[in-house]
Amino acid sequence: MSAGALSQSVLNGLALSGIYILIALGLTLVMSIMGIVQVAHGEIYMIGAYAVYYMIAVLGGGFFLAIVVATLFVGGLGVLLERLCFRPFRGQPDRAFTVSIALILILQNVVLAIAGGNPLTYPSPFTGVLRILGVAISWKRLIIVLVGLGLLVCLFLFIKLTRTGQAMLAISQEREGAALQGMNIDRISAVAMFLGCGLAAVAGGFIGSLFSISPTMGSFALMKGIAVIILGGLGSIPGAVVGGAILGLVDGVLPALTTTHIAGLVGFATIIFILIFRPQGIWGHD
Amino acid sequence: MGRIFAAVAIACLLLLPLLLTGPYHLHVLILTMMYVVLASSLRLINLSGQMSLAHGGMMTVGAYTSTLLVMKAGFPFWVAMPLAGFSAALIAYVVGYPFVRLKGIYFSIVTIFFSEVVVLTAQQWQGLTGGNTGIFGIPRPSPVVIPRILRMDFSSKTDFYYLALVLMLVSLIILYAVERSRIGLILRGVQQADSLAESIGIDTTGFKVLAFTVGSFFAGLIGGFYCHYISAISPDAFSFLFTIYILVYVTVGGEKKFVGPILGAAVLTILPEVARPLKAFMPFLFAAVLIAVIFFVPEGMAGLPDLARRLMPRSEKRPARA
Repeated sequence: MSAGALSQSVLNGLALSGIYILIALGLTLVMSIMGIVQVAHGEIYMIGAYAVYYMIAVLGGGFFLAIVVATLFVGGLGVLLERLCFRPFRGQPDRAFTVSIALILILQNVVLAIAGGNPLTYPSPFTGVLRILGVAISWKRLIIVLVGLGLLVCLFLFIKLTRTGQAMLAISQEREGAALQGMNIDRISAVAMFLGCGLAAVAGGFIGSLFSISPTMGSFALMKGIAVIILGGLGSIPGAVVGGAILGLVDGVLPALTTTHIAGLVGFATIIFILIFRPQGIWGHD
Repeated sequence: MGRIFAAVAIACLLLLPLLLTGPYHLHVLILTMMYVVLASSLRLINLSGQMSLAHGGMMTVGAYTSTLLVMKAGFPFWVAMPLAGFSAALIAYVVGYPFVRLKGIYFSIVTIFFSEVVVLTAQQWQGLTGGNTGIFGIPRPSPVVIPRILRMDFSSKTDFYYLALVLMLVSLIILYAVERSRIGLILRGVQQADSLAESIGIDTTGFKVLAFTVGSFFAGLIGGFYCHYISAISPDAFSFLFTIYILVYVTVGGEKKFVGPILGAAVLTILPEVARPLKAFMPFLFAAVLIAVIFFVPEGMAGLPDLARRLMPRSEKRPARA
């Protein structure tokens, strides 16, 4: 493979990394703070993509306005879901898991009924390429890396610097202790759902500028999100970042070297091995 | 009571093709019986306290095993179909030992990934599996002829109906026997108190693997049946969503009782056909039923009689205390 082709696939991989990190950060927030496995997270991401599509194609908004509106809309949806579907089952992870399975069916079919099953596309506002040392980097992929990094820094500062962020950290570490200290678990769970679903919506909105979107696109995102969390360890933000970066690069580069199926096989087999030999993730601890 | 009910149900199922001659009705019933076996075998795995989401993957393994044995190795269907079950069981046994070390949801996750690996392998190994397009024109089962008594050549759906019925009854009898045996008791013990069972010398890992192996056997068996029934197989025939539906049958039916998954699979497959004008809304109804069950009857449909009894305590006299 030539150096140019390699650098292209590395860049594709970095763009995928950005998407995976956003999905995994949202999922790890929701899972560690609410103590549930939210398998409808992929559908949240899908709805984010459709919200952006409708903002651009139907309401004629700009791309960034569409992303912001979609993030707020999907974040609000997340708060609603937390209140109606997950709060009644706090402390009962099995039942909450089944509810989120039901949500997969409902959300997929709501979108299917509204938008139809055909794949849809919308253009990225970034068309040009940036040339650095003779390597052409397309802006529409670079912007994903930049936005991903930006959101990551924001999330990190939010958790480090605000009381709510510190409360989230506390609850993910020791739920009952945090409740005893007077932290409002209801409110923090709602905030976690808002942030987690919002991050998924951003990821969905950006993926639509690279690939076509469809009502069943969520299961791919869920698989990748879970894989990243397993790599990095549940509840660990640095873990999600490193795991997402690795998985994105592998998914960007390996298909260019072999076939997409083999690349997928290598990815899943690796995750299975990691799960078996280090269930707490590469960087996680017991 | 239960036995009389089962006998009546079996008699009805035997006679049903005389009343329902439309191929579509028979097709729905054949699918229902497949789902009954799948849901009941999934419940056996759940009985050991771990939720497998590898059933779709195991069906794919079984379907390809049977197809390839018949089409490439010249095996008769009647040998290939049981081997389909055994191949899935063998794979479950091998991957079971590392998998069951994972607790709770992590076991479920690794089984999802296992199914993905099966799908990707089938897609990649084009020389053997036909890749993405899969394999078409899978032959029907070879005819069964007992002179003057029985003649089944599987050219009609009725013959497949009776084959599916026999498969279902045999599977249910085996699953019931396993559950009522010592093994079933131990599995329940493992489900309720993993560490306690281990502390009194029960090989919990071994029994979890056993449940996973036996449950997967039936998934492979049904996969083997299904590909010959519809005469085609493709890598993504039994997707993640397919497995989720099987899980929904178990949950809605109620996994505490043996009859639960049977009820769940039967009602949730036949109801959409009865309510055909609402077919476009079916996934919503499906999800609504699921959510209603989780919220209001966590023990599922099989738990409804108990629930009714609890809600109407006066209708029943309390047994006198000894």
